[in-house]
Amino acid sequence: MNGFNIVWQHRDMIIGGFENTLMIVALAAIGSFTLGALLTIPLMSRHRGVASLATVYVDTMRCVPFLLFVYLIYFGLPSLGIQFDNWSSGVVALILYNTGYMAELLRAAWANLPKELIEAGHAFGFVGWGLFRRIILPPVLFSAIPLIGNQLIQIVKDSAFLTVIAVGELTHQATSLQTTYFVPFASFIAAVVLYWVTCVTIEGTVGFANRFAEARR
Amino acid sequence: MTAHDYLSIVQAAFATVSMSLVSIVLGVPLGLGLALIRWSRLPLLSRVTIVYVSIIRTCPSVTLALLIFFALPEVGISLDPVPAGILTLTLSTAAFNTEIWRSALMNFPRDQYDAALSFGMRRGLRFRRVVLPQIVRSSLPALVNEMTLQVKSTPAVAVLGIVEITRAAIRVGARTYQPLPPFIVALVLYSIIVFAFVRTQRVIERRYARADAG
Amino acid sequence: MQEIAGTRHPVSTAEHDERDVVLEVSGLSKSFDGNMVLRDISLKVHKGETVCVLGPSGSGKSTLLRCMNWLEEPDGGMVLLAGQRIGVRPGGNIRMTDRDLAAMRTRIGMVFQHFALWPHLTVRQNVMEAPVHVLKRNKAEVRQEVEALLVRVGLGDKMDSFPARLSGGQKQRVGIARSLAMKPDVILFDEPTSALDPELVGEVLAVMQGLARDGMTMVVVTHEMGFARDVASRIVFMDNGKSVETGSPEKFFAAPETDRARQFLMRYASRGH
Repeated sequence: MNGFNIVWQHRDMIIGGFENTLMIVALAAIGSFTLGALLTIPLMSRHRGVASLATVYVDTMRCVPFLLFVYLIYFGLPSLGIQFDNWSSGVVALILYNTGYMAELLRAAWANLPKELIEAGHAFGFVGWGLFRRIILPPVLFSAIPLIGNQLIQIVKDSAFLTVIAVGELTHQATSLQTTYFVPFASFIAAVVLYWVTCVTIEGTVGFANRFAEARR
Repeated sequence: MTAHDYLSIVQAAFATVSMSLVSIVLGVPLGLGLALIRWSRLPLLSRVTIVYVSIIRTCPSVTLALLIFFALPEVGISLDPVPAGILTLTLSTAAFNTEIWRSALMNFPRDQYDAALSFGMRRGLRFRRVVLPQIVRSSLPALVNEMTLQVKSTPAVAVLGIVEITRAAIRVGARTYQPLPPFIVALVLYSIIVFAFVRTQRVIERRYARADAG
Repeated sequence: MQEIAGTRHPVSTAEHDERDVVLEVSGLSKSFDGNMVLRDISLKVHKGETVCVLGPSGSGKSTLLRCMNWLEEPDGGMVLLAGQRIGVRPGGNIRMTDRDLAAMRTRIGMVFQHFALWPHLTVRQNVMEAPVHVLKRNKAEVRQEVEALLVRVGLGDKMDSFPARLSGGQKQRVGIARSLAMKPDVILFDEPTSALDPELVGEVLAVMQGLARDGMTMVVVTHEMGFARDVASRIVFMDNGKSVETGSPEKFFAAPETDRARQFLMRYASRGH
């Protein structure tokens, strides 16, 4: 058990990795949620062409393994002339990937709204952006809260993939600690515990938000 | 990229998918077993199952793979990367399957079970002929969905240095000094495989929806 | 709103032609999936009238109503609001822009069968939402008017509640207040009490009766024969997409002219409405 002692001694490595993970997850969550919400509009559009393009994007993200996608962004961006550091490449990959998922779950929530709700919006003269922002979006968000929570957990787990492009998030730091100090698995236990705590916190917050949302459904 | 490169990537893709399939074949019944343990409420094993499921479901595949690979030697088992990878994948998918099976068990209509009891069926028979067929039917869409996700997340074990699709792509890229094309090929290939799973999933869902309606 | 004595507008056919035509439907036709739901139907609604549209299910009543504010687009014919064409640009066959259509719709109120309240907003916010964010009116002014409206329909104590907590009758009264807040030229009612438990129907009909008495122009699709008999100023009976018979309620209920109307009324009389 002296493995855990060593881990504790060098806990700032783990904590640093954990902070990195949290920051990456926060950026990816905000980015993918915002872009996903915007992508929902073309996804639900009446124009076949526009809707098809959006659907292709969403379906692609849902079929592609994230690890391969990370490599694609990492190797691919430079050939487009964009020079990002590993960290930024990783965050970009997470955002692009999860935008597809967020858009799909928001689209499903939108499609499940009672038709009359939106009709009333039209009947009272709401149109365009005003209709979307004031009539459609709030009920969609409230009904989608549990699914958004699940997606957040998925983002936390996907963030670990960034270790392969040497981003200093939690798993990467745990591996570093392990190889540097020859601690067999204590550092990974620490990482697993931290991931667990993070996800359980997200689940708790979502449960709380859900209760708030229920009165408004 | 030469024809040989393409071939090596294709082979690696199928090697990866084979690992997925093995873990699926092992993980589905394992999930059922764990779900039954929880359903039966055996004191210690139930608790252990709850903790296991909770931890594995929140753990990234990469981290889990590393943990298992480095932890096993400590317990005296030394595994090669490929079995370690399969073990990781199996444990991971089993955790998700447990919840799927559990949901089906909890939603199982009580009166059917009572009817079986009242006909004097013994436990094993009850389970095999009454409960099992029905929970298989009601779980199937969710199980197939999980299989699709499992196939998609298999490349995670690349971190263990297993020769499969990611490694093949990296090797080709390192040789040709053009890392992008092999990864694009790997991506497209793998996505086609996943897409095939998704299609199958939809067909199964539709067939079961029709059967339910009929 | 003018006060008119009695529960019903004492309107004679002569006076009809002198009053303003608020809403006009001319030669409307519509099919769904090959079924003709509206067949060349025409109707004029005058200011202050309460027109009740009656008929068996499938007669096209709701479709007619929904064509009036272009929630359904008819295949042929015209809809005019105070002489202006809805849905189509003046003079041509080009569809109106969504913005222009929205602007016209602000002058037509609608009360839905399933209430269609916005669940994320409180009762007060529901009623204020369109006047503030579509008509761009002053928020404080609107708030005062809305609170008075809600008191008038009997929901003064529910202003901060969310729709999820209201009964069906309460929700529908909010729906009516929501339309009133826009000060429309006409309000369309799409089977406003059909989704309500029987004991809640009365409170909604009472509000609607009050509106009629105050001179609101209303087009009501309903199965409530009692309401139609007591409150309507004109009955339009539809069957199979056509307007089969129209007339004053006294005449329609006591001495229907057509066989179809007679059959329809017999069925309802036997149900004790």
